[in-house]
Amino acid sequence: MPVLEVQGLVAGYEDAAVVRNLSLTIGKGEVVVLLGPNGAGKTTTLQAISGLVQVMSGSLRLNAEDLMEYSPTQRSRKGIAHVPEGRGIFAGLTVAEHFRLGYRGEHLDADVAYSYFPPLAGVANRLAGVLSGGEQQMLAVGRALAREPSVLLLDELSLGLAPLVVEVLLPVIRSYATESGCSVLLVEQHIHLALEVADRGYLLVNGEIQMEKTAKELQDDKVLIAASYLGKSEFAASNGNEE
Amino acid sequence: MSQIILFALLGLGPGALIASVGLGVVLSYRGSGVINLSMGAMVMLAGYLFWAFRTGYFGISFATAFALPLTLVAMAGVGCVVELVVFRRLRTASPLAKLVASLAVLLLVQAAVLLAFGSTPLNSPAVLPSSSVTVFNVTVPIAQFILAGIVGIIVVVLVGLYRYTRFGLATRAASENERSALLAGLSPSLIALSNTVVGTVLAGLVGILAASVVGLDSTTLPLLIIPALAAALFARFTSFPITYLAGLLIGIAESLVYLASTQSWFPTSQGIALPGLQQVLEFLLIVAALWWRGSSLPQRGEIVEQSLPLVPYQDRLLQRVALPSVACAIALILLPFDFRQALITGLVAMMICLSFVVITGYVGQLSVMQLALAGFAGLLVSHIGDTGGIGFLPAAILGILASVGLGIAVAISALRVRGATLVVVTLAAAEAIQQFIFANGSWGASQTPGSLQQPNLLGLNLGTDAGFRGLDGKLPSPVFGFLALVIVVVLYLLVANLRRGDLGRRMLAVRSNERAAAAAGVHVPRVKIIAFGLGSAIAGIAGVMYTYDFGTFSTSNYDVMIGFALIAGLYVLGISMAQGAVLAGLGATGALIPLVLQKWVLPQNQIATYVQLIAALGLIVQLNLFPEGVLPIMWKRKQDKAQKLERDRGLPAADVSTDALIPEGALRRSNHEASSIVDGAPI
Repeated sequence: MPVLEVQGLVAGYEDAAVVRNLSLTIGKGEVVVLLGPNGAGKTTTLQAISGLVQVMSGSLRLNAEDLMEYSPTQRSRKGIAHVPEGRGIFAGLTVAEHFRLGYRGEHLDADVAYSYFPPLAGVANRLAGVLSGGEQQMLAVGRALAREPSVLLLDELSLGLAPLVVEVLLPVIRSYATESGCSVLLVEQHIHLALEVADRGYLLVNGEIQMEKTAKELQDDKVLIAASYLGKSEFAASNGNEE
Repeated sequence: MSQIILFALLGLGPGALIASVGLGVVLSYRGSGVINLSMGAMVMLAGYLFWAFRTGYFGISFATAFALPLTLVAMAGVGCVVELVVFRRLRTASPLAKLVASLAVLLLVQAAVLLAFGSTPLNSPAVLPSSSVTVFNVTVPIAQFILAGIVGIIVVVLVGLYRYTRFGLATRAASENERSALLAGLSPSLIALSNTVVGTVLAGLVGILAASVVGLDSTTLPLLIIPALAAALFARFTSFPITYLAGLLIGIAESLVYLASTQSWFPTSQGIALPGLQQVLEFLLIVAALWWRGSSLPQRGEIVEQSLPLVPYQDRLLQRVALPSVACAIALILLPFDFRQALITGLVAMMICLSFVVITGYVGQLSVMQLALAGFAGLLVSHIGDTGGIGFLPAAILGILASVGLGIAVAISALRVRGATLVVVTLAAAEAIQQFIFANGSWGASQTPGSLQQPNLLGLNLGTDAGFRGLDGKLPSPVFGFLALVIVVVLYLLVANLRRGDLGRRMLAVRSNERAAAAAGVHVPRVKIIAFGLGSAIAGIAGVMYTYDFGTFSTSNYDVMIGFALIAGLYVLGISMAQGAVLAGLGATGALIPLVLQKWVLPQNQIATYVQLIAALGLIVQLNLFPEGVLPIMWKRKQDKAQKLERDRGLPAADVSTDALIPEGALRRSNHEASSIVDGAPI
C-alpha cells in the first residue's frame, strides 16, 4: 500500500492550473524522483502536497488518510516534511536551536540529523545564517530527517550548491529512506545524480505526467527525458513571437 | 546638580512608559511584521478602561485588585480582535497595507475613546504607592522606580521567553521565514496572535500603572508611539533590552529638556521657554537611529508575493476632468454659502490628497507629514503675505518653496530607509513641526493675523471676499472657489499625467522593489527626493489655499490625527489614483460629506470624531475585502468587462493557455538534438 497517494491532482495559482490531472504514489522507503523541464510544475506539485499551493481538485492521501482539508501546518504535523527550494532554514537561529524548534508536543531527535550529517554536529552553536551553502542545506534536510516524517519532499537540493555537495547529500537521503522506511519525493535538476539514488521516476511535462518508469529504465532512456526538457524551448525558438 | 538628578529620575516613569510602548511595537513586529502605530493608543485605551472600571463609569466600580485584571483581560480581548479582524487577513499583504491597517486601529481606538469618554484629560486613580524616597539627596516619588523596575522585569522575562522557550524560538523562526515555519508545523497566525496579545497586554499594564503619573489624555497618549518608535528603531525592532534602555533614556532626556526649559539661559520666545524641543529631540533621535540602524532593519520572509495597490494607466485625462470641473464651477455659484464653503474646503483637501497620491500611491512611501508641510506654507504666507506686506503671489511662492525645502530635508534624512519604515520619520517630523514651529510664541500661529488679507492678483480680488457672491449673495465668494478649482484641475492633470510618463514609471519601479529599480538603472534616492519635492509643493499649495480659505492660520487644521484620517479615507478610495484624491477631499474635515452628515445624520458637535471613526472602519473593511482600494477595483472590473466584451465580439483575445505553448510533436522533433546534451551539464 502506498504511503502517499496523489490522484487526479489539479493545482495552481488563482484560477490558472499549473499541474493538471497528476497522479502519483510513493511506497514505504521508496525514493521517487520527479523530473521535468523548467515550468513543468514540479515545485507546484510538492507545494500542493504540503499545502502551500491551493489544490483545485483531486485527492491526496497520506497512509490512506485524506489530507485535502488540512492546512499546511496540520499536514506538516501529520508527517509531511517539505524542504523547499532555497533552503527552509532560519538564519537567525543556531543549528542546535533548529532542533529545539517545534510545535507543542513535538520532539526532534537532533542525533538523527547529526548521525546522517556529521559536519552539522561541529557547528551546532553557530547561527544558521553564517553556515556555508552546503551546511545550510544539510541543516534543512537534517531538520526534516529529525522530524522522522513519513514523507519527505525535497525541492531542488542542488539549487545554488556545487554538484559535489549534492553528490554527498543524495546518497545520505537514499540510505535514510532505506533505513527508516521514510518515503521520499525528490525534485532535482541533476538528473543523473537523482536517478542513481532513486527507485522510480515520473516525468512531468507541461503540468502533466508524461511517463512513469523505474530509475533504471529512465537512466537508459535519457534521450526521451532530454527531449522533453528541450521541447518547450525548441518550440519557442521556431515560433519566435509566441511567448 | 541635585536638580539634574531629580529630573533625570523623574524621567524614569515616562521613560518606562515609552519603553513599554516600544516593547509592544517590537513584539508586534516580531510576531506579525506590522509596524504597529496603534500601540500608544492601546496604552490610552487601557488607561481609560481602568479609570472607567475604577470610578464606576460603566455603572459598577471595582477595587483596584479587580479593575486591574479586568482591564488586562479586556486588553487581551482587544489584542485578539485587532489581530483576528485587522491583521490576520493582511499577513501576506504589503508592509504598506499593514502599516495603514495599524493606522486604522489607532484612529478607531482614539475615536472610540473620544466618543465614550470625551476629550477632557482625566485624573487616573493611582495604583502605585504615592510615597517618596530620597536618593542622592533628592526626593523622588517611588512610583518612578517601581515603573522602571516593572518594565525591567518584563524585559528580563521577555528575553528569557524568546531565548529559551519553544514559543520564543517559534516566533523568531516565523518572523524570519513564515513559509518555512509553516512547513515546520508551526502556525504563524497563532504565533502572530500570541505576540500581539502579549504586546497589547504589556503596554496596557504599564499604561494603567503610569496613567496616574503621566495623566490620561486622548490626544497625547496615542502619540507616545513616536518616542516608542525611536526606541524600537535603536533596537532594530528586535532587541528587548535595547528598546528598554533607549526608552528610559528618551524619557530621561525629555525630562532634562524640560528642566533646561525652566532655566534662565534657555532660549525663550515671547518670554516663555521655546516649546516643542522634546518633539524636535524625538525627531532627531529617530533620524539618528535610522542613519545608524536603517539599512539593517530585519526583513521578513513572507508567504506570498506582496501586491501593492493597482496604479491604473489612464488616457483621455482632459475629457475625464472637463465635466466634473464644469459641474463643480456651477455648484460653486448655485450652492448656499455653507455648502459653498464646504466645497471649497473640499477642493483644498483634494490638493493635500493629491500629494499623498504622489508619495504613497506612486512611490509607496507613507508620509504622514503632508498636512504639517501644508501648515508650514500656510503659516509663512500668513506671516509674510500679510504683516510682511509683500503681497499674495510672492508670499505664496515663498511659502510653497519653504515647504518643499522642509519636505526634501526630511526626505533626505530618511533616504537610507527602504519602504514603509519612512512613516516613522515623517510622523516625528509632523509632530515636531506642530510643536516647535506652529506652537512657538514668536513665529508660530499666535503671531499670525486673526483675519488675513485675501489674495489679490493684479488688482483682481481672488479671495473669499471678492465682489461676485454666488446665488445667495453671501460669503465666501465663489471666485476663491474658482481659483481652488483651477489649481485642483491643474494638479490633478499633473499627478494623473505623471503616472503615464517616464518619471511615473520610475516611481512605480521604486515602489515595487527598490533594489531591482536601482539595478535597472533607476536612481532611487533621486526619485524619492523628486517625489517628496513634488508632494511637498502640492502640500504647500494646499496650505496656502487652506489659510486663505479659513481666513486665518489655525494650528488645529494641521493636526497629525486629521492627517491620519485623511490618509485613511484616501486609502479606502484608492491612494494610487488621482480620482481617489478628489473623492477623499470631499470627505475631509470641513468638506461636503461631513457637512451633509453633520446637518442631517450625525450629532453636530463631534463630527470630526465621527468622520475619523467612519474612515477607520471603512479602512478596515476595505483592507479585508478589496485591498486594492475602491476606485482601482472598479477600474479593474470595468477593464475586465471591456475585455470580455471584445472577446465575445470575436476579436482576437489575449488568451494565454499553456496548452498552446508546446505542440504534441515537439517531443519527437527534438530527439536527436537533445541526445548530445543529455550526459553533459545539468539542464
